[in-house]
Amino acid sequence: MKLLEIKNICKSFLDKKILNGINLDIESGEISSIFGYSGEGKSTLLKIICGIIKQDNGDIMLNGKNINNLEPYERHTVLVMDEPLLFPHMNVFENIAFGSKLSSNKKRYINNNKKILKSTKEIMELLGITGLEKRYPNEISMGQAQRVSLARALIVNPEIILMDEPFSNLDIISKTKVRKLIKDINGELKIPMLLVTHDIEDVLNLSNKMFILNHGKIQDSGKPKDVLKKPSSMDTAFLLGTENIFEGIISEIDEKNNLIKIKLLNGKEGNRYIETDFQGNFEINELVLFVIRPEEIIILREDRQTSKPVRENHFSGMINSAIFTSRMMEILISSEDTFEFKVLIPFHAYEVMNLFEGKTVSISLKKSAIHIIKKKKPIRL
Amino acid sequence: MPFNKNKIFDILIYIISFSFFIALVLLLSGIFFQTSLNLFIKELKNIHLWNSIFLSFKISFIVILINLIIGIPIAYILSFNRSKISFILDLISTLPLTTSPLVIGFAVLITMGPLNPIGRLFIDNGIKFVFTPSGIILVQLIISFPFFVNIVKTSFDSINRKMIDLSKTLGASSINILLKIILPLSYNGILAGLAMSWSRSMGEYAATQMVSGVIPNITETAPIEIFVKTSYGNYPAAIAIACILMLISLFSLGIFKYFNYKTKAKN
Repeated sequence: MKLLEIKNICKSFLDKKILNGINLDIESGEISSIFGYSGEGKSTLLKIICGIIKQDNGDIMLNGKNINNLEPYERHTVLVMDEPLLFPHMNVFENIAFGSKLSSNKKRYINNNKKILKSTKEIMELLGITGLEKRYPNEISMGQAQRVSLARALIVNPEIILMDEPFSNLDIISKTKVRKLIKDINGELKIPMLLVTHDIEDVLNLSNKMFILNHGKIQDSGKPKDVLKKPSSMDTAFLLGTENIFEGIISEIDEKNNLIKIKLLNGKEGNRYIETDFQGNFEINELVLFVIRPEEIIILREDRQTSKPVRENHFSGMINSAIFTSRMMEILISSEDTFEFKVLIPFHAYEVMNLFEGKTVSISLKKSAIHIIKKKKPIRL
Repeated sequence: MPFNKNKIFDILIYIISFSFFIALVLLLSGIFFQTSLNLFIKELKNIHLWNSIFLSFKISFIVILINLIIGIPIAYILSFNRSKISFILDLISTLPLTTSPLVIGFAVLITMGPLNPIGRLFIDNGIKFVFTPSGIILVQLIISFPFFVNIVKTSFDSINRKMIDLSKTLGASSINILLKIILPLSYNGILAGLAMSWSRSMGEYAATQMVSGVIPNITETAPIEIFVKTSYGNYPAAIAIACILMLISLFSLGIFKYFNYKTKAKN
């Protein structure tokens, strides 16, 4: 069931158009995220949904009811921001209980048959902050404060929780914990959440659905994994930090055998071909771009027979650089015909395969992992 | 020991500040030494003196009470509802700070007098502002409320707007936010504002003089009493009241500074 429908929202500040016809639907019970560059109006959109800012145009429907003219306190769409913003003159218990004592929320407790957390105590237990009741906001850590802020939002039993970069001020350990907490809460209470973030990790970890907000419009939407692997446009691909983007001309389309052949253009001599699974809406001789995620490129082991999928799209090249990033080895391989591939592999694989800078290796681009994008505008590199 | 430029600078600013400070203290404390203790105590026993001081207390207490009632809404508009109207309101509410108190007193005297239609209206309904305590309350209110409004507005300004926005989404209406968040967080600012406007009202002379008519025991406030006593040549009595007034302002200023620092330390 559709919980929140946003229809054609527009907003300008002075003469600058920030949001230019935003449309999105949010299902009840799910976590959705809006992903985009900083300053693209993601936070503005959240503020419009909860009524702090008025839109110039467009409608917001909550449970099928138009809430355009409702004041923020009547909307039951709670905001959680990047800072905890606890009330400094109240202790943790009073902070959490704040919303439950307000008359606008009291009525709702009676006519709502959803599972409601009855007491402040219960909610503190769920969020693992029992014992902090008497402390003041300046006496607790940032991670704890953010949980208190979440508890304060949950107690009013909102229709939806809107989260504006809720993890951006947390250290890595608290971030992981709070993320898990949010997922657990969503699982248990089925409170829908809309998350705004510029960190793709948040999106992948938490959300059932993602929207990409770019140039004031929703550019792409869907399951995060699908959007990440198969961005619909070049802009989206850049936004998602897609690497390994190549240019080519489609030379063969064979729907029956699930095959598209692309002639590569980046190389020195234009006679390399790449095979991919069949993807719709392309024509022979069309100029296209195709992408493959760095973790989908396979470095072939010299000591083993290659299995079927790794026999596809072979290239051989030299390891130019290998950098140890926080989780994976990031390897740059340039092939003989001057293609450059970025490959991500686990550190142990790097060691087991005895890889080093300067070594020549063979790689395979999995057919199923290659995604073709229509080329509309010239690439901004 | 060689002096560097910074040291010379430090010494210079300290010399300037302290020499002025000492001059000021000598000037103000002069009155304490002008009289003998016996004369001073004799004057303190004068019931007339205490009448004027109590009148000042009574009036200034009513003034700050009205300040509290009208000042908080004005400060709220100035701080939270910024618009063209609030600019005009800001201008009007700060105007008494820069206008001569004598002019304000004179304006009230004329407007509330029997020849003016507004004054006529009040007089016909039995409310007199000229030569009555109500008149004194009115002018002291006009003169002291900018102090209160400005201090409270500064205090309101220091409240995090994101926190206010967030509390709206938690279900708090404007009145909830005012009572549960803004006022508790501005507690120190409001006290500081009250102390400031109270001492302004206690010491007000020029505007009060204009509308008071100097009626002993009815409209003769402490500062007016000083002037009256001085013009009769009764210096010991004037000194006694002046001393008490000075102690009162020292005390209320102490309260103001204390709460002001507390507000600043908090934010």
